[in-house]
Amino acid sequence: MTSRTTEGDEMNDDLELSTRLAALEARAPGSAQPPALSHPRRRGRVAVSMAMAPALVLALVATTAAGALVAVNLAQGHPGIQNPGQPMAGIHMECMTPTDAAAALAAHGFTDVVWQIESGAAVAPDGGKGDTTTVQQSTPPAHGFVIPGSLLDDGSVIMVVDQRTDATGVGDCFGQPMP
Amino acid sequence: MRATHAAASTSDPDAFEAAVRPHYANLVRRLVLVLGDERDAEDIAQDAYLKAFRSWARFDGADVRAWLYTIALRLAFNHLRGRRRWLAAIGRVEPTPWTDPADPDLWAALAALDSRTRAALLLNVVDGYTQAEIATMLAVPEGTVASWISRGRATLRRELDPDR
Repeated sequence: MTSRTTEGDEMNDDLELSTRLAALEARAPGSAQPPALSHPRRRGRVAVSMAMAPALVLALVATTAAGALVAVNLAQGHPGIQNPGQPMAGIHMECMTPTDAAAALAAHGFTDVVWQIESGAAVAPDGGKGDTTTVQQSTPPAHGFVIPGSLLDDGSVIMVVDQRTDATGVGDCFGQPMP
Repeated sequence: MRATHAAASTSDPDAFEAAVRPHYANLVRRLVLVLGDERDAEDIAQDAYLKAFRSWARFDGADVRAWLYTIALRLAFNHLRGRRRWLAAIGRVEPTPWTDPADPDLWAALAALDSRTRAALLLNVVDGYTQAEIATMLAVPEGTVASWISRGRATLRRELDPDR
């Protein structure tokens, strides 16, 4: 049997749908706290202070940089080459020009280096998503913030150079002028 | 249901937190419905919160919830595009979505919709935003929003009351 849908039915449907959807949303998990802006210590899974936000963004860039290779190789995680216990720990390549970082790597025996260059802008002027370009090459670029990357299983190294207009640098050179 | 605030100060963190923080929990819930994944929702909400803070000086002071939801939903759609590419690249299946035991038919019907349709429908039916407002928030033509909402409503009606 077919029933006709009247305007009144549709209004009731809309009201019922609105009520059910609102109730559904109210049951969805939403106990997470926003990240701290002025208090550096706040409980939360990924709680960060605003001071760390730029570093977090660039860490995500570095992760994305390694991501392409991870996706290709289905590889497991690789250690950051400047992590404690890794060959370049304490070298602070983030404060070097890309050329100097390449020389430091070569001095430690790392000559097989992929330089991944990020350019453009992470955030558009209206606060929306910016336009970022990624290029990989075997030679270091002339300028940009060096983001020490990962040491891969085959002994090669991936390094990220951030040339974006809103780049801030990382680690000890956070906030310094772009080399 | 609208949340309208006059931004007395658009430069200090306290004013930002006072205006935006009350909407945070609801934003996470909305993102759970749009993304279907609690962890993704929390991550996107945090990103949106930080991005909103960085853009706070440019906020026009009209409707802080609409502004926050606009930032978050655009991030969510970008995230979904990236996630699909990533999962395809590594040959993985999508994560198991959140489920609602209290009204499983509604959630199943809603989850079957495209994420943009879902977002537009919720903004319209739950929040009461007009099609023109939603078009601005999601950066799409008004006709597209009208189509999404119409199709979304029809799909939900059909799934929830198949005898009609």
